[in-house]
Amino acid sequence: MVNARSKHRSYLSFVLPAFIIYTAIMVFPLVFSFGLSFTKWKGFGPMEFVGLQNYVKLFSDPVFLIGLRNNVLIVLISVFGQIPLGLLLAYMLHRRMVRGDKIFEMLIFLPITISSVIVAQLWNRVFAPVGILPTLVRQITGNPDYVMTIFESKTFAFVPIMFVLLWQHTSLYMIIFLANLQRIPDSVIEAAQMEGATEGVIFRKIIAPMLAPVAFINSILAISGSFKSFDLIFSMTGGGPAHFTEVMAVYMYNTTFVYQNYGYGSAISIVIILFIVAAILLTKAVTNKLNAS
Amino acid sequence: MNDRTRLKKAPLGWRISAYAIMLLFTVITVFPLVWLGYSSLKPNAEIVLHPLALPQAPSFDNYVRAWTMGKLGVSLGNSLIYTGVATVATLFLALGAAFGLAKFAFKSVKFFTWAFTIGLMLTVHAVIIPLFLVEVKAGLINTRLGVILPYIAFDLPMSVLIALSFVKGIPDAIIESAEIDGAKYRQIFWSLIVPLSTPVAATMAILSFLRHWNEFMFVFIFTTKSALKSLPVAITQFAGRQNIEYGLQYASLVIGILPMIIFYVLFHAQLVKGFGEGALKE
Repeated sequence: MVNARSKHRSYLSFVLPAFIIYTAIMVFPLVFSFGLSFTKWKGFGPMEFVGLQNYVKLFSDPVFLIGLRNNVLIVLISVFGQIPLGLLLAYMLHRRMVRGDKIFEMLIFLPITISSVIVAQLWNRVFAPVGILPTLVRQITGNPDYVMTIFESKTFAFVPIMFVLLWQHTSLYMIIFLANLQRIPDSVIEAAQMEGATEGVIFRKIIAPMLAPVAFINSILAISGSFKSFDLIFSMTGGGPAHFTEVMAVYMYNTTFVYQNYGYGSAISIVIILFIVAAILLTKAVTNKLNAS
Repeated sequence: MNDRTRLKKAPLGWRISAYAIMLLFTVITVFPLVWLGYSSLKPNAEIVLHPLALPQAPSFDNYVRAWTMGKLGVSLGNSLIYTGVATVATLFLALGAAFGLAKFAFKSVKFFTWAFTIGLMLTVHAVIIPLFLVEVKAGLINTRLGVILPYIAFDLPMSVLIALSFVKGIPDAIIESAEIDGAKYRQIFWSLIVPLSTPVAATMAILSFLRHWNEFMFVFIFTTKSALKSLPVAITQFAGRQNIEYGLQYASLVIGILPMIIFYVLFHAQLVKGFGEGALKE
């Protein structure tokens, strides 16, 4: 038998390598970032302590506010677009409403493996003057000069991005709901059918409420995910034109790495983290409440 | 499974709508990819004149030129190195940590588990700025290690927690009897825990591979030399240049998408299982 001390040493030899890499790369920089957010610094030379000034400035910075608005739009398309559509698709597959349900599932889930930056480039080609969409519109309307101008609209420039997000992530929720639907015994639906419940009633009154906790957890994950959106938008528009499609993370990148404003950039990244932490704490609080009741 | 047959079919109205919605989703998902695929076989003039038409004389010329102009072979190699090393390292580090946390009853177990759980909330954006500054100081900018280390670190919290819930389920009796036989913990780990964890390890490795392969920000910011770019970064930069022909842009995008379609076809079942069981969105 090994003695307690060497047992403890073995234990640490298993846990510490992972823990040290994780803390060195994720935890310590976070503290550093927090500190930087109270300074004005160009990346070299003296660092100037400015207190809360960066944070105060953020909430009157029009570009940051457009970014925040667009992040909220991503939250809305996730929670009210991707998740309900994912649920509907999953239910249709689960109830075998179409033949070849496996094939549909496989084709619809495909975008999950494609890198967001490449998805962005793909859709830029679809929306380009020689892309699918303008060409179809030209053929349908007979207007040979049609090109998409939506990206130049301050109000609507973000709409195509929301569409691509729907394209990219709806199937993820479909797969999650499908896995959870398979855990509901068929006898539940059978009993409802025997009592004469219509399909719509079964879906809205029985299945949807049973999946509500799953939908809730996924909504919060979607919300916290929405605040960190970067890859797709950075690759598709870079936040332009004229910041119309800016999101917080893209603005953070440009502020820091393009304009060398390390303090202000750090303040943006801390705000992003605060939104994410708030979303996750909210989940915890609500799940605890649900479990308690 | 026999239960299924007892269920009444959904009414016709639902089935018709289901076909409509499924077909619409499938077309919107697949058609852009198919269009990109066949358009990449057309010369530039044909793309401009007939954007939706099939190629008149399909040619791989665009691929040959995109591959050499974009130095995509180098990027593919980099992607394989980054993803391969990070995936294997994360897997064993996470299984080790999970073994320690699941099967040793020390006081600090709680603290370590809590620390890894907190990690799920941290994101790239929270640390990218200071990490960049640290990597500059440490001379890790423009090195492969400077990309691989953050890959491992960011994947650990999730991987440790997935592994932990699995390793906890391995009966203590197996480990105790090995202890009595005089096995060292190192041996127990390699000859018992690792082989017993194969099912979860497969899921972990596939999800980890996917996250690393598609990662963008670390490679984009921490490397400036084109010789160190990963495939998605190189292709985004190549295809994003406005001054190159459409055919070359399309071909380079197909080169980025095709390996992932193959990966998807090979590991579809594990991906469905991994994501379906509630793995987080990246």
